[in-house]
Amino acid sequence: MSTSETEYLENVANQEYEHGWRTDIESETLPEGLDENIVRYISERKDEPEWLLEWRLKAFRYFERQVEEGNYPDWAHLDYERPDFQDMRYFSAPKEKASYDSLDEVPDEILETFERLGIPLEEQKALTGVAVDAVMDSVSVATTFKKKLKEKGVIFMSFGEAAREHPEIVKKYLGRVVPYTDNLFAALNSAVFSDGSFVYVPEGVTCPMELSTYFRINDQNTGQFERTLIIAEPDSYVSYLEGCTAPMNQKHQLHAAVVELIAHEDAEIKYSTIQNWYPGTKDGEGGVYNLVTKRGICEGDRSKISWTQLETGSAVTQKYPSVILKGDESVGEFYSVAFTKGHQQADTGTKMHHIGKNTKSTIISKGISAGVSNNSYRGLVKVGKNAENARNFSQCDSLLLGDQCGAHTFPYIEIGNPSAKVEHEATTSKVGEDQMFYCHQRGLGEEEALKLIVNGFCQEILAELPMEFAVEAKELLAIELEGSVG
Amino acid sequence: MSTTTLDTSAQTIDRFVSAFQVNHGQALNGTNASVAKRREAAIQRFQELGVPTRKQEAWKYTDIASVLDRPYTLPLGPEEADVSAADLDPYLIDDLDAHVLVLVNGRPDLSLSQLDAMPEDVTVGSLKDAGDHPAFEAHYGEYADAEDEVLTALNTAFVQDGAFIHVPEDVELEQPILLLHVNAAQDDLLMQPRHLFVVEADAKARVIGRQLSLTGARTFTNTVTEMFVGERGYLDHYVIQEEDDNASQVLSRFGYHEGDSVLSTDTFTFSGEVVRNNMTLTPDGPNCETNLYGLVIGHGSMHVDNNTLVDHVHADCVSNELYKHVLNDQSTAVFNGKVFVHRDSQRIDAYQSNDSLVLNNDAQIYTKPELEIYADDVKCSHGTTTGQLDEEAVYAMRTRGIDEATARALLTLAFAGEVLEQVTLDAISERVELAVAGKLPERFNLTGLVETASALNA
Amino acid sequence: MALLEVENLHVSVEDEDIEILKGVDLTINEGEVHAIMGPNGSGKSTLAAVLAGREEYVVTEGSIRYKGEDLLELEVEERAEEGVFLAFQYPVELPGVSMTNFLREAVNSVREARGEEELGAADFLKLVRERAKLVDLDPDLVKRSVNQGFSGGEKKRNEIFQLAMLEPTLAVLDETDSGLDIDALRTVSDGVNKLRSDERAFLLITHYQRLLDYIEPDYVHVMVNGRIAESGDKDLAIRLEEEGYERFQREPAAA
Repeated sequence: MSTSETEYLENVANQEYEHGWRTDIESETLPEGLDENIVRYISERKDEPEWLLEWRLKAFRYFERQVEEGNYPDWAHLDYERPDFQDMRYFSAPKEKASYDSLDEVPDEILETFERLGIPLEEQKALTGVAVDAVMDSVSVATTFKKKLKEKGVIFMSFGEAAREHPEIVKKYLGRVVPYTDNLFAALNSAVFSDGSFVYVPEGVTCPMELSTYFRINDQNTGQFERTLIIAEPDSYVSYLEGCTAPMNQKHQLHAAVVELIAHEDAEIKYSTIQNWYPGTKDGEGGVYNLVTKRGICEGDRSKISWTQLETGSAVTQKYPSVILKGDESVGEFYSVAFTKGHQQADTGTKMHHIGKNTKSTIISKGISAGVSNNSYRGLVKVGKNAENARNFSQCDSLLLGDQCGAHTFPYIEIGNPSAKVEHEATTSKVGEDQMFYCHQRGLGEEEALKLIVNGFCQEILAELPMEFAVEAKELLAIELEGSVG
Repeated sequence: MSTTTLDTSAQTIDRFVSAFQVNHGQALNGTNASVAKRREAAIQRFQELGVPTRKQEAWKYTDIASVLDRPYTLPLGPEEADVSAADLDPYLIDDLDAHVLVLVNGRPDLSLSQLDAMPEDVTVGSLKDAGDHPAFEAHYGEYADAEDEVLTALNTAFVQDGAFIHVPEDVELEQPILLLHVNAAQDDLLMQPRHLFVVEADAKARVIGRQLSLTGARTFTNTVTEMFVGERGYLDHYVIQEEDDNASQVLSRFGYHEGDSVLSTDTFTFSGEVVRNNMTLTPDGPNCETNLYGLVIGHGSMHVDNNTLVDHVHADCVSNELYKHVLNDQSTAVFNGKVFVHRDSQRIDAYQSNDSLVLNNDAQIYTKPELEIYADDVKCSHGTTTGQLDEEAVYAMRTRGIDEATARALLTLAFAGEVLEQVTLDAISERVELAVAGKLPERFNLTGLVETASALNA
Repeated sequence: MALLEVENLHVSVEDEDIEILKGVDLTINEGEVHAIMGPNGSGKSTLAAVLAGREEYVVTEGSIRYKGEDLLELEVEERAEEGVFLAFQYPVELPGVSMTNFLREAVNSVREARGEEELGAADFLKLVRERAKLVDLDPDLVKRSVNQGFSGGEKKRNEIFQLAMLEPTLAVLDETDSGLDIDALRTVSDGVNKLRSDERAFLLITHYQRLLDYIEPDYVHVMVNGRIAESGDKDLAIRLEEEGYERFQREPAAA
């Protein structure tokens, strides 16, 4: 490696976070600590029906038991101090109101925050055809395009609203795909989730625009526990995107979200994530612990769920967006780019559980490690006993930028039916010196060449993102790669 | 015959610990302080580690606890097994001109062995007799991980005997060494053989271990094999597992090799109840070549678990790994292969592949090929496939007049062939191919081939 | 002032004590076409790599002046910006990197170095179409990843296409003819001939004379054992084809 390349990689590894500012708004925040009263308070504060409170309390008791029994999910290739659940806050909301009926009610500071993040909530998003919900510190602050969506019968609102306005749907599906007994963090989320997004697409409807939620942690020492529920009725289609950022905080912050997707017969859900939570300082101080549970079920025949993620942020990431392929001929997809640098650690991948007949899944994962980071792919492909003719193709490629980082691949493959065809390929390599030389010979400098090659490495995944976000994703990757010169 | 029968009323761990106390005086080199120290430390670790449960990642798919939890008899000394040379005759591999060391119930029996043609400076014999050998002092217990591997700790605690091979510097052993392991036991015998192979610098050896049961008794064998290959040395180690359907085993191999050397292992599993093969190979010098090949032919309710680690602690090495499964009936195969590349182990080329062919509805595959990589200038890849025979190929063969059953059989053999190609001893690869043919489902109509096999073997 | 002046160039492989070039002298003026011929292992491709700035080669003695400046002082990409182009013997694949993005980056960095304005999208595409035609390259290939899945002939044509896009002052073609069938060779040569101009010099490195049937050189040099053993005009190439390299390999090359 040439000296300039080494320098460049060091710069890449040390690149600072650019969304680290904090908005000064008055917020109503609970003190640190967690007990039953906090759960009750959150539920009351959100004006929730009794059944939901009961559900929360059950989840809370289950969570307490998990903590007592020490059932912490520590099997991942991650090394970090466990969060102290009594040393964080579980609710923080912009003070004036817990939710806003129209944009006019939203305080200017909050709007400016989202503006600064490049998320104009104004109708100008109409030009790009994206409806946006924004969640700051657990509370949904604005949902645009309600009217237009309503015409089609699409419900897109904050989770809190949905629990009040459409309790029958929420009650039917909440916890169906990710029960609170799934794991400790799912239990915690179920007990204290404060908001999130809710999407319901009626039968035969193709959602007329991309739906997007932007999550922002603003307050210090506040955990973020949003909950997303998307239901696609038969023969419907929806594409949903979430993005996330957080200000710089000295202490670690916990983000423990739960996402549940349900696709009925012939329905398709496309779920994309651009995750850019604060990763901590270059010395590994602070940063978000991103420990989330995301799962979808292809309930009906010929349904399809597709996860696409660009993971660049967080100090620690542990997530496995999964698909249960229950319907016959259902399809699950997972496309992922995980970029770690500095002291970041990521253990991410997917689970594809084939249950129905003639089901098909595709996994393409690209991991890029720089600095002293560790980046692991962990995935499970499980073919049940009655899953005739299941097909899976997995490809996991790792790229190492520098010699102090690690790239790991842990694929689990469990086959219980002989008609399955499962293929898994993985490679680990660095950027080829011949590739760099070729680019240099055509006049490209270190940075341009590396950007180009890394972008090329991720191309398959970025191509899966909705167009509006593919551009954003590319820019984000470019910023991540940029040296101090850029 | 002196034995200790485990007290089944006690917890598994306690049973072994009390047996250890009784066994004390019968251990390998009871007077050798360093061996005794290892034994004491090992039983300690065994107690601390406990019996592996399926909650442990390494044992996720193999329930070893229920295999261990049987009323085993632990032999304290060599048994009077009724085995004659004639009993062994059918199991000597034809066309294989080899030095033969016979081990009955895990202990070498020199009277049954054929070691006359052995070059004088090469040692092949009993580990029990090797106590004063400098190679024993230098290598015994150095590679086997009795600290973290509970079955290895158990073996180390109860060590009594096994095979010892020493090939001195510059000696290239022309004929291979055949270790014929025969079980001639009564039910519930627990055997814990311990083998040590030392191939010094610039030396060369090929070792074939063939495991058989003569009595059909239910047995459990917990073997530990340590292998050392010096600089520019060469060791090719074959293991052919053909124990009876109610014989279970854990075979833990630890291979350590120095710069410019080659260490190859070929593991063929054709029968057994629960068969777990642990393999840890450590190439510790530049330009090492490390090879791991395996073939599992699963039938009945066999459960075969291959757990391998190639630990690249040194730069500039190459490793190749290829395991294949052919599974029929209710058999289960587990493959857990790990390639670990340490920081500063630059310029490693590591390839790993695991392919499974599933022939029956009830067969199960669990495969987990892992890469853990901390150096950037490496080329590492793994691939795994699970599937069926290529119907296009079956069709193509039928259009050439081959009946469907034979077409499937031939394609299955071809699938296994990729592993057989790696076998450098013709007599072995022929033997193995016929064994494969013999173990395939009857519907494959390989009678012709199998008859040829038995004719050849007669 | 000559465009390129190579004087007494000695080159070794990094980390190894093997000297590959043992005192090469070569002068190329603007607009000239030079051919270097030689047997395998004579050092031809090493010379090409050193001109482009490949790092694993170490210049132990001698100098290379390009446009009067010390070429060895420049980084690889700076040389490219100054107009040195190497057509690779084995073009490198860049998975996922589209030809369009790659070329835009390359063209604009070279243009910037020349003090020209960046090409806008429309102009760029126009240029792509025009130059692709020159080497008979399927414009659809431009939508694909760089060299990925290209046939051997396509890769070589792609090199000449890039040459046409980047408009270098000194183009070094390293065994561009190897692995090409006669039609592909003709296409590539036609492309090169169209790109010949008074300002642009070519250095053709080849094992065979047949390339020179299509691209007529002004000078031919025979390289043997790390030195230029003989120089002459195109007739030298014909003589070589008839006599082979043996004569040079037997006699100690003139210092």
